[in-house]
Amino acid sequence: MTAAAEQTHAQPGDVLVDVQGIKVHFPIKKGVIFDKTIGYVYAVDGVDLQIRRGETYGLVGESGCGKSTLGRAILNLEPPTEGKVVFDGTDIASLRGEELRRKRQHMQMVFQDPLSSLDPRQSVESLLLEGMKAHGLVKDTKAANARLRELLKAVGLPAASLQKYPHEFSGGQRQRIGIARALAVDPQLIVADEPVSALDVSVQAQVINLLEDLQDRFGLTYLVVAHDLAVVRHISDRVGVMYLGALVEEAAADDLYAAPMHPYTRALMSAVPVPDPVVEDRRERILLNGDLPSPANPPKGCRFHTRCPWRQPTQCDTDRPALRVVSIDGVPETHRVACHFAEGIASGELQPHKVEAEVVDPHLGESDAHGSLIGPATTVEVTDTP
Amino acid sequence: MTTRAYAADTRSGQALLSVRDLSVVFQRHGEQPFAAVDGVSFEVRPGQTVGLVGESGSGKSVTSLAIMGLLPARGNRVTGVADFDGTDLLKLSSGDMRDRRGKDLGMIFQDPLSSLNPVVPIGVQVTEVLERHKGMSRKAAMPKAREMLDKVGIPDPDRRLKDYPHQLSGGMRQRALIAMALACEPRVLIADEPTTALDVTIQAQILQLLGDLVRDSGTALIMITHDLGVVAGLCDEVNVMYGGRIVERGLRHDLFAAPRHPYTHGLLGSIPRLDGQRGEPLIPIPGSVADNLPWDHACAFAPRCFQPIDVCRSQTPGFVEDGASALRCHNPVGSPHGHTAQPDHAEVNDQ
Repeated sequence: MTAAAEQTHAQPGDVLVDVQGIKVHFPIKKGVIFDKTIGYVYAVDGVDLQIRRGETYGLVGESGCGKSTLGRAILNLEPPTEGKVVFDGTDIASLRGEELRRKRQHMQMVFQDPLSSLDPRQSVESLLLEGMKAHGLVKDTKAANARLRELLKAVGLPAASLQKYPHEFSGGQRQRIGIARALAVDPQLIVADEPVSALDVSVQAQVINLLEDLQDRFGLTYLVVAHDLAVVRHISDRVGVMYLGALVEEAAADDLYAAPMHPYTRALMSAVPVPDPVVEDRRERILLNGDLPSPANPPKGCRFHTRCPWRQPTQCDTDRPALRVVSIDGVPETHRVACHFAEGIASGELQPHKVEAEVVDPHLGESDAHGSLIGPATTVEVTDTP
Repeated sequence: MTTRAYAADTRSGQALLSVRDLSVVFQRHGEQPFAAVDGVSFEVRPGQTVGLVGESGSGKSVTSLAIMGLLPARGNRVTGVADFDGTDLLKLSSGDMRDRRGKDLGMIFQDPLSSLNPVVPIGVQVTEVLERHKGMSRKAAMPKAREMLDKVGIPDPDRRLKDYPHQLSGGMRQRALIAMALACEPRVLIADEPTTALDVTIQAQILQLLGDLVRDSGTALIMITHDLGVVAGLCDEVNVMYGGRIVERGLRHDLFAAPRHPYTHGLLGSIPRLDGQRGEPLIPIPGSVADNLPWDHACAFAPRCFQPIDVCRSQTPGFVEDGASALRCHNPVGSPHGHTAQPDHAEVNDQ
C-alpha cells in the first residue's frame, strides 16, 4: 500500500471489508432453571471501519476492549447483534448456513495459540487438506500434493512435515502451520488474532516477517488484532485503537505514532517500554489511574472520561464522541479521533490535570447497578489474555 | 517505616545477595539429567535492580526458585552458593528458610490470581505475613495491612481488605501481591515476570511502583523478565541468559548501546520498536530454543548464531568478566573474527 493510495479516499471498489455500525452484546444470564437476562456485556458497541484490498489493518487495545470480538464478528464467528459487515459486496452478517460456509473460503483466521487451535490428532497433511476439501479445491491427489508442498514451502517448513503431528513442532513452527492452513483455501482476507503473542521474542520476528512476505506474494488483506503496539505499528498500514468496545482513534500507522491525538492513545503509547535505556530515561509517561471500567456497565458520555487526564467539565461525561476528522493543519483526513477536545489537546491549550483525584474504581459502578451479580464468569468470555 | 541499617550502605557496593556458581539439575527416574541452570553467578546490592533476561527455557525462573528454596524437594539437585548477608540460603533447612521467606526475601510471581488464595480475603492474606514473621496479632496487623495496600496504590484500602481476590482486577491483584511481599520490608525482592499478565498501561503503573519502592526503601530488586523494554527502563545491571547460563552481563546503558553477544544483539534486532523505522524487515534469530542445550563441548547458541566460527562448535566458551561487564562468547559482535554483515533471512531448520 503506497502512501498516495492511503491519502486519497478509496474508491468503492477498493474497500474489501466495510463494517457499518457493528455491535456485539453478550447477555448476562442468571437463574438455575429459567435463564433471565439481567444485563449485557457491551463487547463491541458501534464500530465503523473499512479495510481496503491489500492493506494491513491493525486493531490495538488492552484486554477487554473488544478487539478480538470485533475480529470474530467480522468473520461472523460471533454473530453481530446489530450492524452490517459487507465483504466484497455481500453482507456477511445476513448470510446463514451454506451460503456463509462458502463465503468463508475467502476469509480465514489465524489464532493466537497454535497448539490449541490445531487438532492434536490430525497430521499436518490432514489439517491442511480439510479446508481444501470442504471448499471443493481438491480435484486429484497429485495436484493436491503439489499444492501442499507449495504451501509448506511458502511458510518455510520442510516438506517432511506433512506426516507429522502438531506436538512435534516448536511454537513458531506451529504458528506457521496455522498460517498455512489459513492460506490453503486461497483466501482474500486473513484475520490474525494475536498471531505472535504466544511466541518467544526471537521467534516473533520470524513470524512477522513471514506474514509480510506472504502478503506481498499473494496479495492478501490482513486484519491483525494485537495488544502489542510495537508489533502492530510494524506490520500495519492503518491502525485503529479500541477502548471499551469502540474505536477512539484511527490513522495511517506512521501518522498515529508520530502524532497520537486521543488521550488514551497517548497514554497507551507512552506506556509501551522501548528497549533503549536512553529513550526510556527521557520519556514522559502518562500514567493512567485505575483500570478499564466494566464493559457490562460502560461509563456514560466518552467512555474514557473516567480515566482521562484531559477530561473537561462539560461534554465529556454526557456526549459520546464520534470518530471525526480534526481541523488541525498537517493532520490528514484519514486521521480520525473520537474526542471532543482533540484540537485543544493537540495545540497544548488544554493541559493534563493531576490524575490523583481521578482514581476510579471499576467495581463501584458495577455493584451499583447489579449488586455483585455480574460475576467474572460471564465477562471472562469477552476478555482476552494479552 | 523505620530507617534500617542497610540504608546507609546503599552506595557502598557491598553485595547483599551473592549467587555463585548456582546449578540446578533435574533428574527424573530413568531419564538423562537435565541442567536447567548451569553455573550462574550474580550479585545484587541494596537499592540496586538487577535484571535476569531470557526467553522461555533459559532458566531464569528456576534460578529464582532455587534461591528462594521453592523447588520441589525431590527430583532435582541444587549446587552452588546463595550468600545472603553471610548466610548460605541453599544450606538452610526448610524451616529456617521459611523464616526467611517473606521476611528477608520477598517474591512476586507472574500470575497474581494463582498466587493468591481464592477463598481468603486480601486483608487476611496480608496480615498473615505479619502474624507469621513479626508475631503481631491479627488485630494489630490490620492497620499495617491497610497502610501497605494504600502504599501500593490500591484505592479505598479499607474496603479492599475485605475483598476476595476475584473481586479485584488484574492490576489490583498484582498490587496486593506486592503489598504482601513488602509487608515485612524484605531486603531482597525477586519479581518473576511481574507485569507479563498485565496490560501495558497497568504494566507502566506497576513498574513505576516497583521503581519507587526500590528507590525509597533501599530494597535490592531482582527483576526476571523476557521483555527487554522493561529491563531498559528499570534495571541497573542486566544479565542475559540462554540455555541455563548467563551469556552476557552489562550495565544497562552499555549493554543496550553495544551488545557484544550475538544472542543479545539478535534479540535487540528482532524486536519491533515503537520508535523505530517502519517497513524495514526485522532481523529474526533463526531456529528456536532447543530442549536440551549442549554446553558440554560447544556453545549452545552456535546453531542459531549468525557468525559462528569453528571453535564455537568444539569448545565451551568461558565466562570472561571485565569490571561490570561479562561475556560468554568465542566470537563477540565487533571482534576481529566477526563480520559485521547481517544474517540473511532466517531458514527454519530447527527440527
